[in-house]
Amino acid sequence: MSGNYVLAKSNENLINEYGACGGAVSSIFQYLLANDVVDGVLTLSKGEDIYDGIPRLVTDAGEILETCGSLHCAPTMVSDLISKYLPDKRIAVAVKPCDAKAINELVKRHKIDPEKIFTVGLNCGGTVIPETAQKMIEKFYDVDPSKVIKEEIDKGQFIIELEDGTEKGIKIDDLEEQGYGRRENCQRCDLKVPRNADLACGNWGSEPGWTFVEINSEKGQDILDKAISEGFIETKEPSEKALGIREKVENIMINMGKRNQKDHFGENYLSVDEWKEQWNKCIKCFACRDVCPICWCRECELEKDYFKDGSDSAPDPLGFQGVRLSHMSFSCINCGQCEDVCPMEIPVSKIYHKLQRSYADLVGYEAGLGDEKPPLYSPLKENFD
Amino acid sequence: MSKDVKIVGFCCNWCCYGGADTAGTARMQYPPNIRIIRVMCSGRMNPSMIFKAFKEGADGVFVGGCHIGDCHYDAGNYKWNRRALLTKEIIQEFGIDKERFRFEWISASEGEKFQRTMKEFYKTISELGSLEY
Ligand SMILES: Cc1cc2nc3c(=O)[nH]c(=O)nc-3n(C[C@H](O)[C@H](O)[C@H](O)COP(=O)(O)OP(=O)(O)OC[C@H]3O[C@@H](n4cnc5c(N)ncnc54)[C@H](O)[C@@H]3O)c2cc1C
Ligand code: SF4
Ligand code: SF4
Ligand code: SF4
Ligand code: FES
Repeated sequence: MSGNYVLAKSNENLINEYGACGGAVSSIFQYLLANDVVDGVLTLSKGEDIYDGIPRLVTDAGEILETCGSLHCAPTMVSDLISKYLPDKRIAVAVKPCDAKAINELVKRHKIDPEKIFTVGLNCGGTVIPETAQKMIEKFYDVDPSKVIKEEIDKGQFIIELEDGTEKGIKIDDLEEQGYGRRENCQRCDLKVPRNADLACGNWGSEPGWTFVEINSEKGQDILDKAISEGFIETKEPSEKALGIREKVENIMINMGKRNQKDHFGENYLSVDEWKEQWNKCIKCFACRDVCPICWCRECELEKDYFKDGSDSAPDPLGFQGVRLSHMSFSCINCGQCEDVCPMEIPVSKIYHKLQRSYADLVGYEAGLGDEKPPLYSPLKENFD
Repeated sequence: MSKDVKIVGFCCNWCCYGGADTAGTARMQYPPNIRIIRVMCSGRMNPSMIFKAFKEGADGVFVGGCHIGDCHYDAGNYKWNRRALLTKEIIQEFGIDKERFRFEWISASEGEKFQRTMKEFYKTISELGSLEY
């Protein structure tokens, strides 16, 4: 199925205008709702300002327009919203590559029904924590963050647009060197085009007013075809040149992610003593567990009596994070949620992602991709040394 | 060097525990530092149990199961083997030497292998000393 590419755009002017690229994603959603192919569409829509992304379940095709556009300062996670609150519904959802990975892992855990879900992937170059975004806009752009009406990431720059139409861009590399820019987990991410979703949409290789779409599954092809025949979108072939550019940018981004993994897990990894200091800060609020899309158990082992610590000290690291690591680090999809929510600013996702990578090196299991379950769940008589 | 290291050994009922028994009835000497806990199968073991042992003061943790292919419950030791792999990775992140954790396949008739393994493991652990975790 891969190697199937089109440029697509919405046939509705407003959607085409307000969409991040060609509004194709939104118009595919309109088609799905208007024809009762799904019960609802899970999107992310702008709240108070551009730093505020709110997951929104849309059931009326007429409301899709309000959810158009890309939010880069809203690092959310949608998979567990589906598994927890919408398990019986037929849902279409816009997903970043990490969202798609989390859905994949939850399907493997029978928490999401693959027959009921349709994933429209968005290519992703990374997301910025809302607070970090506001701080860096003040510091490096010398702009009042509340005056920014739009932001985008393009050609390696984080670009902001002001009310009077002026734009200002700074290279992400420079921002990251100063400790700003994308989240650390995004810097390490090496899945940029979500080929684990039914469709993967993006601006790489597209033209103004068009969305570049890669078709990854039969379901993806079928729904795209119907959205065309029902008149919601139109498509055309991308040029060879566009394909080349897209591939090149994607590879640059993947290599950058791999390089950052090496760096974060190598030279810049915390020593055992530094980790001890970090775990010492833990207030055992359970936020990292609660937010993790892979941690879903009804009865969590961390709350068992045999792992209870005194309430006046930090939990035993091995009996707390060690246990959680042993339950799911092999499936960590590096979404960064645990680190985002930790009130003590412990770099939680770093250790989980590192262990996933070591586990992948040992047994070849890549979290969030393919149909195969993690070997730890497999009934097979496989042995790894 | 410490003579007082504490070692916890989880042995599966059908093989390794039998191996320890064989060593015992044949009066083969092995270090008394090891405290054996019988489990029905190595597949019953999970990493948490290893962590808990370390947390409660073990300086070394041993797990013994049936040889691959001989598990009484068919595939328990395959499953344990995969968990053991991950356990090894995790303890190192928390500053515990991977040598402090060992697992072996020992049959009920291998009293001699049980004795040898315990002697070796005791030597390793006493060289590492007590665990400052
Ligand atoms: C954080 C982020 C980074 C991106 N980086 C790249 C990139 O580097 N290269 C590239 O080619 N394309 C990238 N894209 C994809 C691109 O910006 C467009 O989303 C895509 O081309 C679809 O365009 P469209 O006009 O068809 O979408 P639209 O019709 O505007 O629909 C977009 C849909 O995405 C939803 N959405 C918006 N923000 C988010 C979010 N943060 N998480 C989940 N859903 C969201 C909206 O609710 C809407 O349903 C990125 C998108 C996001 C959200
Ligand atoms: S451990 Fe953290 S980074 Fe990994 S999947 Fe869970 S929340 Fe995401
Ligand atoms: S820590 Fe373990 S028991 Fe608790 S929710 Fe996560 S996977 Fe489940
Ligand atoms: S979120 Fe941070 S403080 Fe809270 S339990 Fe997790 S590591 Fe500890
Ligand atoms: S019964 Fe011995 S390993 Fe399963």
